[in-house]
Amino acid sequence: MGAPARDVLAVELVGAGPPPERRLARHAGRHVLIVPALAVLIVFFVLPYLNLTLISLMTPSHQAPYARVLTLGNYATLLRDPFTWRVIWHTLWIGVATTAICLVISYPLAYHLARAPRRLRGLLMILVISPLLVGVLIRTYGWMILLQDTGLINQTLRALHLPAAPLMYNDTGVLIGLVHVFVPFMVLSIAGTIQTIDPELEFAARSLGAGAWRTFRRVVFPLSLPGVLAGTVLVWVLTISSYVIPSLLGGFTVLTVPILVVRTVTELFNWPGGSAFAILFFVITLAVVGLYVRAMGHAGRLPDQGDDR
Amino acid sequence: MIRPRERRWMAVAVAVLYVFLLAPIAIVVLAALNSGAYLRFPPEGLSLRWFVAFAESRSFTSSLRFSLKLAALATAASTVVGTMASVWIVRFSGRWRNAFRVLFVAPLAVPGILTGIALLIFFYAVGWGNTGFVGLVIGHTLICTPYVFLITSAVLLRFDRTLEEAARNLGAGALRTFWRITLPLIKGGIISGAVFAFVASYDEFNISLLLSGVGMTPLPIQLFDYLRFSFDPTAAVAGTISIGMAFVVVLVTQKLVGLDALYLGGG
Repeated sequence: MGAPARDVLAVELVGAGPPPERRLARHAGRHVLIVPALAVLIVFFVLPYLNLTLISLMTPSHQAPYARVLTLGNYATLLRDPFTWRVIWHTLWIGVATTAICLVISYPLAYHLARAPRRLRGLLMILVISPLLVGVLIRTYGWMILLQDTGLINQTLRALHLPAAPLMYNDTGVLIGLVHVFVPFMVLSIAGTIQTIDPELEFAARSLGAGAWRTFRRVVFPLSLPGVLAGTVLVWVLTISSYVIPSLLGGFTVLTVPILVVRTVTELFNWPGGSAFAILFFVITLAVVGLYVRAMGHAGRLPDQGDDR
Repeated sequence: MIRPRERRWMAVAVAVLYVFLLAPIAIVVLAALNSGAYLRFPPEGLSLRWFVAFAESRSFTSSLRFSLKLAALATAASTVVGTMASVWIVRFSGRWRNAFRVLFVAPLAVPGILTGIALLIFFYAVGWGNTGFVGLVIGHTLICTPYVFLITSAVLLRFDRTLEEAARNLGAGALRTFWRITLPLIKGGIISGAVFAFVASYDEFNISLLLSGVGMTPLPIQLFDYLRFSFDPTAAVAGTISIGMAFVVVLVTQKLVGLDALYLGGG
């Protein structure tokens, strides 16, 4: 756009926009924009999930992936099997532990990031986001080098004449790997809300005599609860559905629901059973997230009604 | 407000946490450049021997080529689809905006491994049991599109609409306005979204695990099979390549869009 365009603009600015008939054509045509995305999502996302639900109600078969006979048997089998529940509990527990550790680690990082001067913040954002962009497999490999029995940490322990620590192929290794992968998500969630908290509020609390801990507990943390809520839900859901880290850092000893579902589908070729397990786990996840969000909603309201008056 | 002594403690804690965050990544690069088969301290010396081993390994190079091809196709598809969707959402969605936003980001919010299983069973059910490569491209496009969508919408929301109105008032049609005004202005967001999509596909594991058939092994699947039984540093070379790509993405995004656009919750 050079100078001539600007001249025309000056002349025609008075004239109103496009004529009405062209505006109408634009109305119909613009919705074409959404068609490809909607088509991809409906055909290759919504339908497959509906189909998964349907298959979970089919009868397992030896001749084909499933027989077209409706049954609730897959769910009954799952619900009756104590092994299923042990794996579900273990998965949920790994999720809670990972989320709790992530929260403790991420909060200082998020606070520091949100309150950093602008120039430094760009650099810190790079440091937080870079791990997110390195494939999960690569980061897990990095941990394997560090944690294995002949790895760097155990080499160091031996050099110091300390007993070697079993850090891999158990829950410890899985937790370390998971925490590492999901900390950036938590940091980004929390930093977003902390940035919206006016620093003057902290200043006011401190000048009225509150210590650092009290200011954090009574001012900053309650105000950052929306970010904490978003971060914990996100990390928990991602953790319990992750597959790579529990399989590589857990070896064959740590069993989680995703591992078992994949095994049922790809090794036992029991598609209805695997689908039912997937759907069951999905429902449990939704229920837990729902309860948690409600509970956090109550917790968030408490400070107002409490001892502030 | 933080006092100086507290600020020092905070700085120490934060520094330790950043080391934790970056250590495994640095370790992979070190392992790739180390001459020994095991990483020791002090390192035995620098060498490119694992890079040579990687380049000579047929299974690694062919899966690297396969991954690049897959990522290129998925990126092309998801960039077009995602950009169109984001223009529509930001401009024309009206009161349905939030419902559609949730729908478009949903493939990232549900467990990828379940999406993989759902697609595997779906392709079989509709008689596309052996879609092979096409199935993989579709699955990857599904996962990559939300990234393009999120980044392009972030840019569009900051966009000054009066520029478009000016073009329309000067007599430019809708398409011409889009090509001459809108597209050049949101180009940064689109490029950055495409780069994100490329890396997302290149690193995608869950979908590939379930949809890749015989003779189609993307690099992450190759690595997974490899790492289950061996730790030898050839895998670290693949990791180093991936880390280099991540670095490029971060720099491109920071330059074109600003990483602040990627805050997830709150705000």
